[in-house]
Amino acid sequence: MTATGSRRPAGPGGTSPAAIAGELRRILADATGRAELLQLPADAELFGTAVALDSLTGTLLLREIQRRFGVDVAGEDLNLDALATLGTLATFVAERAAGTGRTAAPPAGQPPPGRSE
Amino acid sequence: MSELPAAARHPVPAGRAVDLWWSAVPGTGPSPAGLACLSAEESTRAAAFRFASDRYRYQSAHVLLREVLAGYTGTAPGELAFGHAACPRCGKPGGRPVLLPASGLNFSLSHAGQLVVIAVAGIPVGVDTEPEPAGCVCALSTAMHPADAAVVSALPEPQRHRATITWWVRAEAVLKCTGAGIGHGTGEFPALAGPAGLAAPAGPPDVAAGGCTVRSLTAPAGYLAALAVAGTGGFGPVRHYGTPAQSEIAPVGRRLPPARLRR
Repeated sequence: MTATGSRRPAGPGGTSPAAIAGELRRILADATGRAELLQLPADAELFGTAVALDSLTGTLLLREIQRRFGVDVAGEDLNLDALATLGTLATFVAERAAGTGRTAAPPAGQPPPGRSE
Repeated sequence: MSELPAAARHPVPAGRAVDLWWSAVPGTGPSPAGLACLSAEESTRAAAFRFASDRYRYQSAHVLLREVLAGYTGTAPGELAFGHAACPRCGKPGGRPVLLPASGLNFSLSHAGQLVVIAVAGIPVGVDTEPEPAGCVCALSTAMHPADAAVVSALPEPQRHRATITWWVRAEAVLKCTGAGIGHGTGEFPALAGPAGLAAPAGPPDVAAGGCTVRSLTAPAGYLAALAVAGTGGFGPVRHYGTPAQSEIAPVGRRLPPARLRR
């Protein structure tokens, strides 16, 4: 198991659900232009009425996840249970991203630990 | 009041004509009278939104839908009943929203940002609107038909972003028209007319796509929109209307006809 493929503790960058959730919040905020989505709680329902993700934002989110983490959420989870909340989605992606070796980007200003591009 | 006489009703568009109703979402949502028209299900759904802006948009869209359809049917806005058609792919319920009982009145509702648009026609119709993109939306290219992806990817950013959303609202208008389901199957048909048709502001010419005819609409500043009707026979006259208080978001350059509105 390589360093980039193993589980990391939570922190800047890495493949922990918390790191992934932070990345998902940034994707959502960028896609919608709504800064309040940066504060989205982990238990926020994504496709229910709570966050009101429309089909465009939802599709963009899934395609970005595929692009950044190599995880095809819709393809792997036919019931889309993973999309219930921000937290379940982050966990789903984190479990599979660990296998692809891709990690979440760290918060702006901090370099990813132990990696060079 | 419950019934308007037939002569006082707004006529259902004939043939392949479409009526389009545009409205801005009020900053504090609909009036109490408007909210009183919503069904229990709509009210419950509205209450579940985490952000007020989403709630107001949803409420305003559904109040407007009831008010607009009331003008065509003669039924009071609060007395209209909605259901779902069967999904055309699997036959299960949960397809496009329809008025009950079934009639020749077809409609499609779209809302985004501060804008609500409703299409009404005598044939199946779909309308979709989105705000102009705020950032990179290039990840959507994997959802496109290859012909559309080729057109869009040839563009430099940021034109590519606008073209992507132009593609999206056209594909969605078709999918809402067929009732196939929002967001599913966007890549099964080319929705653009090729690179020449992406030139602003007119947008691509009418295109036969997915069993429908689709065209881009001139939407209020900051928004992109598209309209689709069933069949490949093109459009009849498309007429635009707005509620009086919201005329500031009328499509650029288009004058709204007076006295065409129903309460």
